[in-house]
Amino acid sequence: MAEETLLVGRGLTKRYGGVTALEGVDFELRAGEILGLVGPNGAGKTTLVDLISGAQAATTGELVLRGSKLTGPASRRARAGLARTFQYPQLALELSVRDNLLLGWAARRHASLWQMIVGAAAGALRPRVPADQAAVRTLAEELGIEGLDRAAGDLTLGEQRLVEVGRALGQDPLVLLLDEPFAGSDARGVTGIAEVIHTVQRRGHAVILVDHNVDLVARLVDRVMLLDRGRVVFDGDPRECLASPQMQSVYFGSDADTDTDSGAGSPETQAEVEDVRS
Amino acid sequence: MTTTISRPTVSSDRWDPRRIPGGGGLALGVAVAALILVWVGSDGYRQTLVISAATYALIALGMYVPYLMAGSLSMAYSAYAGIGGYAVGLISARTGLPLVVAWIAGPIVAALVAVVLGMVTRRLSGFFLAAVTLLFGMAFTAFLIDAESVSGGSGGLGNLRPLNLLGWTPSHYHVVVGSAVVVCVIAFLLDRLRLSPWGVVVRTMRDAPRAVEAAGVRVPVLNIVALALGAMIAAVGGGLFTYAAGSITPDTFTLNIVFLAIFMPLIGGAGTPWGAVAGAVIAVELTLNFPAVQTSGTLLLAVGVLVIMLVAPKGVVGYADKLRTRLWALLRKERDRG
Repeated sequence: MAEETLLVGRGLTKRYGGVTALEGVDFELRAGEILGLVGPNGAGKTTLVDLISGAQAATTGELVLRGSKLTGPASRRARAGLARTFQYPQLALELSVRDNLLLGWAARRHASLWQMIVGAAAGALRPRVPADQAAVRTLAEELGIEGLDRAAGDLTLGEQRLVEVGRALGQDPLVLLLDEPFAGSDARGVTGIAEVIHTVQRRGHAVILVDHNVDLVARLVDRVMLLDRGRVVFDGDPRECLASPQMQSVYFGSDADTDTDSGAGSPETQAEVEDVRS
Repeated sequence: MTTTISRPTVSSDRWDPRRIPGGGGLALGVAVAALILVWVGSDGYRQTLVISAATYALIALGMYVPYLMAGSLSMAYSAYAGIGGYAVGLISARTGLPLVVAWIAGPIVAALVAVVLGMVTRRLSGFFLAAVTLLFGMAFTAFLIDAESVSGGSGGLGNLRPLNLLGWTPSHYHVVVGSAVVVCVIAFLLDRLRLSPWGVVVRTMRDAPRAVEAAGVRVPVLNIVALALGAMIAAVGGGLFTYAAGSITPDTFTLNIVFLAIFMPLIGGAGTPWGAVAGAVIAVELTLNFPAVQTSGTLLLAVGVLVIMLVAPKGVVGYADKLRTRLWALLRKERDRG
């Protein structure tokens, strides 16, 4: 089966003054693929997500999405088919869960200046469109989110992440970038997010999943890229990665037992993920 | 760790097509407006108060979209109201066009000025945005005084022609009623806009602009659209006041009015545009019509703001809503018992 290449990154580099956060990263992402991006804190994972999504400009390097160059501000790249979540959830805390989910779905109708003007007039005349409400309900069901009338600010961190993932899924992206979606999540949140990852895969789209918890990521992804100090040190099968010498030196070289204490890596959570996977 | 998403809620799905979004606010707003109009009657001074309150309300409603929804505090609203006012004055004095055209031309010019000012200040936010737009408001007043050939200088423009709507010339009382209607319609439409997808996107810009950008909306552009919409509403208010007063000078709309307009939603409640309207009515009552203190109305208003911030942080409308919820709960309890 020849899978279409969806997103290609070539020589992506990011320098802040004299500090190099990312150095010549190349990658290819095929349709239906789930790519794990792992590495210790400061390895450049979030920087790579920012460069892809357009939240930061690359110092050098280029991105190609389905054969056309991916450039410009984050909003343009979003319209080209990227959606992302943030390491620190970016929600409108005073708005309801429902409205936060609506954002991803409704944003596409407010992309151009003309749409913004027409959207304001249409909004005042017809504020609630049944199709919107149905879309939000579907998203909430898919992720297992309840209590849509609660303010987003009243949610736990794990719930907020779930809402962010739902908002991103509402954009129906070609490439979904998830930046540490499991941090602070309980078993239910992990299940919901794992479901979303497979939904995107079923649609023939791709996911880039960032986490520093290698064990968890290895269970969910098709391929893993290990970053260390801004460079790709391993790119391939997740199980091979776990056993690779690069993995040993990056994670277990100096201090062997530092990175397995987060909530998402707890035994029951991993069992949950195994269930979803099988 | 067992924090989950299963906290009980009133209803997970409150969408009901029979309910008109913003209908409750409109019903209450129209009822209060009707009571006020009955109270006013043919009393000339009270009619002036209504016009003032409507103008304040429109300026506060204009600020509602960019300030309370999108989170950018522009202080140029005295200029936008002034543009609306001078549109009435200039079209009356210098052209033969029907006066109604002023309410189309004024808001459009105000929106264009807001777009230019918004583009120039697009990298500013918070204090610096407020400071620069404040300077613009002051510069606009200075321009009106200096450009005598256009604006009539410090004497302003007067002797306005009466409105002629398809042969019907409204009396002063009609204008008073009309101003209340305009305020109610705009507050109702803004309330619906707040609830709409457009409103959701704009309100998310305030707390999470990165999320809006990542969802495909250019935040600076949408911000400018919000500023332009606010400027248009303020210009409608400026035109209304000018027409009712019969003249306009550079001192008609000063920075004072902008500062008052910032506090109006805080008094009335920032949750809905109706809070801005309620705040405008209260501000006019306290500053212009409080019998005990002739000169210190503004001081009273300041004290009032402080008290409201302490007692009812969600403003008068928010407090009334809380009381209503409690009353319903009490009534339901009584009914269940009986």
